[in-house]
Parts: sequence; structure tokens; C-alpha cells
Amino acid sequence: MSSTPMSFLGGVDPSTGRVVDPESDANGESISDSVFCFPFGKGSTVGSYAMYQLKVNGRAPSAIVNDSAEPIIATGAIIADIPMVDGVDVTLVRAGDEVFVDADEGFVELPELTEQHVVTSIVRSRGKLLLLRRSNKVGSYRGQWAGVSGFIEPHEEDRMAARRELAEEVMIENPRFIRRIDPIRFRDKRMVWCVHPFLVEVKDPEIKTDWEHDCYRWITPREVSDYRTVPGLRQVIDKLLGA
Amino acid sequence: MHLTKQEERILAGEEGHGKQKAMELVVALGDIYGAKRLIPIASAQISGASFKTIGDAGIKFLEDFSGEAKVSVRASLNPLGLDERRWRTMGIDRAFFDKQARIISAFQSMGVELLYTCTPYLAGNRPTRGQHVAWAESSATVFANSYLGARTNREGGPSALASAIVGKTAEYGLHLDENRRPRVRINIDEIPEGLVPLAGYMVGRLAGKRVPLMSCPPMSADQHKSFGAAMAATGAVSMYVCRDRRGRDASGKDGIEECVTIEKSELLDCAEGLKGDDEWDLIAIGCPHCSPVELRSMSKFLKARRPNKKSDVWFCTSRKAFASCPREIAVLRKFGKVLCDTCMVVAPIENSYKRTASDSGKAMVYLPTLGKQKASFRPTRQLLEAISR
Repeated sequence: MSSTPMSFLGGVDPSTGRVVDPESDANGESISDSVFCFPFGKGSTVGSYAMYQLKVNGRAPSAIVNDSAEPIIATGAIIADIPMVDGVDVTLVRAGDEVFVDADEGFVELPELTEQHVVTSIVRSRGKLLLLRRSNKVGSYRGQWAGVSGFIEPHEEDRMAARRELAEEVMIENPRFIRRIDPIRFRDKRMVWCVHPFLVEVKDPEIKTDWEHDCYRWITPREVSDYRTVPGLRQVIDKLLGA
Repeated sequence: MHLTKQEERILAGEEGHGKQKAMELVVALGDIYGAKRLIPIASAQISGASFKTIGDAGIKFLEDFSGEAKVSVRASLNPLGLDERRWRTMGIDRAFFDKQARIISAFQSMGVELLYTCTPYLAGNRPTRGQHVAWAESSATVFANSYLGARTNREGGPSALASAIVGKTAEYGLHLDENRRPRVRINIDEIPEGLVPLAGYMVGRLAGKRVPLMSCPPMSADQHKSFGAAMAATGAVSMYVCRDRRGRDASGKDGIEECVTIEKSELLDCAEGLKGDDEWDLIAIGCPHCSPVELRSMSKFLKARRPNKKSDVWFCTSRKAFASCPREIAVLRKFGKVLCDTCMVVAPIENSYKRTASDSGKAMVYLPTLGKQKASFRPTRQLLEAISR
């Protein structure tokens, strides 16, 4: 797993199959017979031939998984017969994960991981955003700051879940949804949180919390970084407000 | 992407493994770029011919592949790492020659025309306006798109070869009208003598991925050649639209997002910034390969002068241009080596030289990286003055 773009020319030793790119966090690791995940390719077009050489030397990865396919890597994968899948958010993958790749159908599975769909509503009033501190009675992320969040129950639509959580947690009835964006995924150990974000506007900043939170604050978007928040909250807020 | 029955057959391997691989490659790239179909091509130009650039990995692939496939359209080859006839005078060793020879025979057995030039359009492979081609040499693709009005993306070596084998390329990028429209207008009122390559060098940086609309003094065909080569080296786009070549393309002014002016003083600053040393081991002219017109004009200037040898001198050209200018070549040879089939970018010059001067904007990009040289830019005229008295 390299979180930086890769060049197979100079970036991987063709005789050992080891990454020799100091900029990569996979530097020194062997990619032979593994599923090699990285965002996309970079560098010289000769990189395609270098992938072929790796294959001939018996050191090729068993598959390649990319965020986005670009021509050098795609070309190399084809001439070297290395199965390849693109369009995968490789930031969710960690070195050592078990990865199942089906290049014919074009999908990737991470069988050791569990995906959980949750909603997070960011409540805004008079330009300020509502952050809630998760109490000691909740099951996860105790003491961390969050939006109005909760699991999406089976057969429940995400907007319905958001509505339910707003009513339960902060007693906001009939919320005015301003914006929703595509779900964002975060990895936390063996869990992948698939967060469905909503932006909600209320007039009255007076709210009541239930047992799930022990306090709340209205903050400006900039102040988010001052708080210890649940994973990905800042990204959710940035994307919601930037959209 | 929609494939015809015939294309599906090839993809399924019914016409052999080599054609299947080639089709897989063309289709995969089409998928990446969202092409809807494949289109026939008139010719291909294949890069990655020098042993220096493709290495043992490239030889291995080409040798394995050459047994399985043949090109189905006209396909010409980029420069090699050496002059096929005068390689010994270049300080090339036998081992390099032998590896280069294996690459040549692999391409030859696939039916590739051994032109060994980055200017195929001056050596017989010259597409006409509106023709779709799959060309890989960056300087040639920009010339084909911008000057000749042909249509090509900047292919990689393997994809150009694959296209030559199936005779088709995926229809995306510069094959489509909408992507040939200029998006940035660049004004240059005056280009000081000899700095056309640096105008291209600056335009490439400014344009990035956008097709520029050039508003600049008219350029000769050779100036277009050196301008485009530099532009393609610093930028990611393989086309510009030029007023004096306006008739070549349907592109209008609609869609211009930005207007930029490059002042004369900025061109002079750029020249100053790329000036480098005053002493050189090698003076290399001919990136892209010198045209017959350029060979003629240089020999005209040098005819009345005497050699002033302080460094090695290379004039790089195509075998075709070489053959068409015997008298000019005879003059140039008094001042340096006239090399065919190769150039300072793809030859292993790092084994013999450390400091190289050139009149090419493209070479200013590749000499320091690929060639490990301290590179110095000088206008052609200054280089000719430096090598003669």
C-alpha cells in the first residue's frame, strides 16, 4: 500500500519487487504476489515496460488497485497481464489487509472490514455550527465532538435517519435540510464508516440534548480544528460548506 | 465503449494473441478517457526506440511481442540511441549497440518503418488535414495537430504500437472537435531572434492542459516545429491554434477562459534563466531533427567561415534529410558530426559529456533530466558563431 503515486521505472526494483521510492510509505516493502494499492501512476511512460519486466522476473504484484487509472499503469497492467481495478478509494486500505480483487467484474472486497452506514447532520444557526460532545454512555468515540449522528437502520433512508436522530438527540422537529452530499468513507481500525452528511439550518440556537451527549457548543467553521472530533468530521464539514 | 463485431472478435482473441493484447490496450485507454468508439487511423509514430529510454524491460517486451503481431497501418519509428552507421564516433560501446540492434529488429519484424526520426512528417509519413493518426513523439504530435491539422493524442510508445497493430485508436481527446478548441489566448507581440523555442517553452508552462490560441508574429514551418516541441515538453497539451494556421482548424475564439501576454522582456528573462555555462563539452543542434531547410541555412552561414573547435558539435537530422542535402552536409561536417537516427535527448550522452548547449527549448527540459547534463540555451545563430570563425 502506497499512499503516494507510483512510478514503476525507478520506483520498484525489477529484480526484487521491492519499492525503492523514498517518497512512498511502501519504501522497502515487497509488492511481489501481493495486491498493490496506490492512488495513481506517475513518471516516465517507460514505466509500462518496467511492469512487464517485473512480471517476466516473477516479481509482479498479483493485482493492482488504483484510485484512478492513468495510461502508464493501465498499459503496463495489460502488457504484463496483471489484473487491475480502478475507481477504488485506496485511502481505506491499509498495508496487510486481506484484499479480494475481481478484475473481470471490476470490484474489490476487503473481507476483514465491516462497513457501517451512519448519518451526520451538521446543524447551522446564524452562521455557527453545532458541535456535541459524546457522553460516556455511548458505545463509541466517548468524549469526542461530533455532529448529530447515528446509524442508518436497515430499510431506512438516510434522510429519514437524519430526521430521526435530529429529533431524538437535539429535539429538532421538522428540520430544514439545506444541503446533502455524497457519502464519505472513513477507515477506523477494522471499521469503515460510510457517513451520509446533511447540512441543517435552524433559527433558534436553543437546543436540548439527550443522554448521548453531555454538552454542546456553537462554533465557527474555523474553530472545528480546535476540538477533538470523531474521525472525518472536519472533512464532512469542509465538503458540506464548500459544496 | 461500443465495439464492432470485428473489434469484439479481435478482443476475444480470435485473430491471435498479439492482436488481442493490442486491442485490449486500445480499448482500456478508451475506457479510461471515456471514448465511445474506435476510429481508423492513417498512421502511427512509435516512440521508445532508444535502448537508453526503454532499457532491458523494453527489449524484453518488444521481443516477446514481435513474434505475435504486425502493424496494419503505416507506422514509423522514433530516434534511436545511436547513429546506425556512425555510432562508434559517438563513443557508444558494443554492448549498447547490440541491445539497440535487438530493438530495431523487433520493430522491423513487426513491420514498422525504420525512419528513426522525431520528424516523420519530413521523412515521408506526413498526415493530411483532418486525418486521424496515433502518434507518440510529443513534438511530432503537436506539429501534426497544430500545423498539419491532423488529429492525434499524445500516445505512449506501447499505445501507438497497439494502435498501429489494430489500425485504430479510441476516439477521445484531440480526436474530438470540442477538445481542440482553444481555452487560453496567449499574445506575444515580438519574439527576439532565435527565441521562438523559448516562446514555446513559456507557452507550454502557461497553457498546462489547455489548448492555447496563439496571437504572435507569423512563424515558418521550422519555427512551428521548434515552438511546438518546446511547448509539448513543458506543457501537457499537444496542440495550439495559431493565427497564421487558422485555416487548418475549425476552432474559434469561443471558450477562451483567460488571456495572457508574454512580453519580449519575459522571453529575454527566460533566455537568461536558461543560459547556463559559457563553456560546453557538446553543442547539439537538431531537436527536433533538422529539416533540409535548416541544414541549408546553417551551411549557408558556415560556408564562408572556418571551424573553431572548442567542443564537440552534433547536428542531428533524419536519414531522409541527410540524403537530400549532400552538399550542405559536406559543409556542416567540417564543423562537427552530422548524426542521423538519433539526437541528444535519446542518445546516452551522459557517458561522454557533462555540459551541453543547444538551441532547442525541448532539449532544455530533457538534457538536465534524461541526459544528466548542465544545459545551456543559445539561439542557433550564437551556436554557429561559437563553432566558427
